[in-house]
Amino acid sequence: MNKLLLSCLRATELMEKKLHIKLSFTERLQLKAHKMICKACADYEKQTYLIDSVLSKPPQNGNPSQEEIESLKKVILTKISKD
Amino acid sequence: MPLRKAEEQFNQLIEDYTSPLLTWAKYKVSDDELARDMVQETFLAAYQSFEKFKGESTPRTWLFSILNRKIIDHYRTRVKQHSSYGLEPHATSRFFDEEGGWLPESTPTHWDYDEEHLLDNNDFNLVLKLCIDLLPDVWKSCVQLKYIDDRKSDEICQELGISPTNYWQILHRSKLQLRGCIEENWFKK
Repeated sequence: MNKLLLSCLRATELMEKKLHIKLSFTERLQLKAHKMICKACADYEKQTYLIDSVLSKPPQNGNPSQEEIESLKKVILTKISKD
Repeated sequence: MPLRKAEEQFNQLIEDYTSPLLTWAKYKVSDDELARDMVQETFLAAYQSFEKFKGESTPRTWLFSILNRKIIDHYRTRVKQHSSYGLEPHATSRFFDEEGGWLPESTPTHWDYDEEHLLDNNDFNLVLKLCIDLLPDVWKSCVQLKYIDDRKSDEICQELGISPTNYWQILHRSKLQLRGCIEENWFKK
C-alpha cells in the first residue's frame, strides 16, 4: 500500500496532534492527501474546530440568575465579616 | 491603607465579580453547589491576601487566577483517583473498524449550521453540556482544563501526571465521543 494512505483513525489522531505538537513534513502531507479523498474526515475536522470554539468560551445563556448571585454575595459578605 | 477604605474596596470586588466568577465556575464544573462554594472560597482566599495584592494585575485577573487554581485542584484530585486513563484500544472500536476506517453508523455526516447562531443557541449549549457530562471522568477533566484561561496544555499535563502524548490522545478520544454525541442529539433530530 502507498505510504501516503492513512487510516481514518490515524488521520483524526493527527488532526488533534497538530493542535499540540508540530507535525512532521510526512505527517502533514499524509493528512492533506487523506482529507482530499475522504469527505467524512474533512467534515470531522471542521466539526472538531467548532467544538473547540464552543468550549473556549462560556455560553451567553448559562448565566446564573440574579437571585442566585445576590444570595451568594450575601453569604460571602457574612463569612468575611465573621473573620 | 485605612482599614475602612480597604473594606469598601473589597466589598466592591464582591459586588462586581461574583457574577462573572460564578458564570465561569458553573461552566467549568457541572455541579452548581460546588461552583458556588468555589466562588465563595475564592473571595475568602482573596480577602486573606488582599493586603498583598498591589494591583500589579487587574482585580479581574487576580480573582480569576485564584478561582482557576481551585478548578484545577478539583480536577486534579479527580484524575488522581483513577489509575486508568481509558486509552485502551476499545476506546476507538466504537468508531473505527480494525483497519481504522469509520464504522458505517459512526461516519461523520455533513453538518448544516451557521456558527454564530449555533454558539448562541440555548438548546445547543445544553446538548453540548450533556455530552461533556457523558465523557469518562479523566477525559472530562482534560477537556475542561484545556479550555481554562491562559494555561498551556503541557503545564496541565504535568499537573495531572499525564504524558503529552496521552494528553492529546485523551482529547482525540473525547472529541470523537463529543462529536458523535452532538451529531446524534442535535443534527439528526
